[in-house]
Amino acid sequence: MLGSSNIANPWPFLLPALMLSCLFFLLPTINMIFLSLTSETGLGFGNFRDFFATPHLTQALMRSLLLALFSTVIAGFVAWPLAYFIVFCVKEKWRPLFLLAILAPFWTSFTIRAFSWQLVLSDNGVITWLIEQLTGLSIALGFLYTMKASVFGLALFGSMLCTFTLYGALVSIDRKVIEAASTLGAKPLQIFRDIIFPLGLPGWLAGIALSFIVCIGDYAVPTLLGGGLKPVLAQIMLSVLKGTYNLSQAATIATILAITVIICAAPLVLLRHVFRRSILA
Amino acid sequence: MNNLIVSKSISGALTAFFCIALFVIYLPILVMIIFSFNSGKYQTLPFREPTLEWYVNLIADRSFIESFFTSIIMASLASLAATSLGFLAAYAFSKAKVPFHALFLGLILCPLVIPIILIGIGIRLQIVAIGIQPALWLVLIGQTLYVLPLAVINLKNRIDKIPNSIEEAAISLGSSRLTSICLILVPICAPTIFATILLTFTFSFDEFVIAYFLTNFEITLPIRIWTSLVTGFEPKINAVGTAVFIFSLTLGLIAQFILLFKQPETQKN
Repeated sequence: MLGSSNIANPWPFLLPALMLSCLFFLLPTINMIFLSLTSETGLGFGNFRDFFATPHLTQALMRSLLLALFSTVIAGFVAWPLAYFIVFCVKEKWRPLFLLAILAPFWTSFTIRAFSWQLVLSDNGVITWLIEQLTGLSIALGFLYTMKASVFGLALFGSMLCTFTLYGALVSIDRKVIEAASTLGAKPLQIFRDIIFPLGLPGWLAGIALSFIVCIGDYAVPTLLGGGLKPVLAQIMLSVLKGTYNLSQAATIATILAITVIICAAPLVLLRHVFRRSILA
Repeated sequence: MNNLIVSKSISGALTAFFCIALFVIYLPILVMIIFSFNSGKYQTLPFREPTLEWYVNLIADRSFIESFFTSIIMASLASLAATSLGFLAAYAFSKAKVPFHALFLGLILCPLVIPIILIGIGIRLQIVAIGIQPALWLVLIGQTLYVLPLAVINLKNRIDKIPNSIEEAAISLGSSRLTSICLILVPICAPTIFATILLTFTFSFDEFVIAYFLTNFEITLPIRIWTSLVTGFEPKINAVGTAVFIFSLTLGLIAQFILLFKQPETQKN
């Protein structure tokens, strides 16, 4: 029965999308890796050696990593109470509405949201003004254009992402399981530890991986909130590409960014699969 | 039922946390909207006379208006392209035996799980290598690539829920594959298709990095805004921000409402 409705030949349907992905994603990626392996001395890892021998590049890589790490950890912690509240404290028909309240700004320009934080955090911004009104003290916050401000901005974005994926996992938990556990005498903490947490974990890990990827590759927040003095890798990449036109250096930086993403995100994805399996088993 | 899992005190704490989160999320946007009506060149409190000056300035500024229309055109084309390609691909993945299913699906979804900046830089390096100048049509392709995964995911979720028997019935009664897609599948999926177009539109409309990498002189709205932010402050940027925020928010919310409420129920608990 199944076979009869299956399309015998999927290629006409698949080909347009696959062509797009191959020509403008796969091919450029191969080209990028090839470029990163090409230097004046021929094929080899010379560009990578140069990269790791240049302090301001390795520092930028470290900064990118730390920035993404801190933001993602904060985002991961913030996501739990938010998603938990929406799924377990809000009536079923209102849940999507509460989720949308958290996610709504997510659909608008990243740049504009980063900019709007400048208005609040800057030394003559809203917070300084409020402190002055309340205490009479005029202090310089010194928060904008620091790494802390970047972490703050990216953590906020990551929180929305994590809340979204965690919500998806929590909302599909069968309530009967929880009821059964409770009837059999499980305490709320036990229910959380043995049911809700493990079932939410795959969604949470997906959110964390996505949030890490967004944070490590972002350009707007580190520029608008972090300032340009201590650039992250994405900022350097842009200035290389738009400024010096050193193509193989740009390709090398991009390849290193891609490898970093794979190294950091792959364990999360694997972990997620392991958990999914162990739940299904 | 709910009190099985959440005691009263915890529920109170969670509510408080949620409210604080909402406050933090919306505070800067609120501040921006307020400033967009504030007279005076500097973005400092206290609030002065309310004014519409910045909005008038904005409408009179040709570079903003032109970049706005460029962005509208680009986003319309990218969202239509991504939704059509996405629909076809989702149909194949959902209803056909595709060899190397995971590999091909993975390839199409991949742009979603890598930093966007890598899409931009990849295409940029490629076109330099083969001697093509950066141009808007490349931005269009890059952004289509970037929003395609969203379209495929949304549409595949929807098509997966359509039983094969519907199409089988049509085909055994003599309909062609094409007719059954146009007259049965597309109408059934219409709300999702509409939502997908809106959603991919907002993503493409707000996309900055790909457009920045793949153009030299043509300017989309996010690039115009960016230039203004990094080269010196223009007070009308608050007005632009407010307008863009409300525009994208409206489209995004409509799309999300359709996706969250108008979709057929999965399993009811």
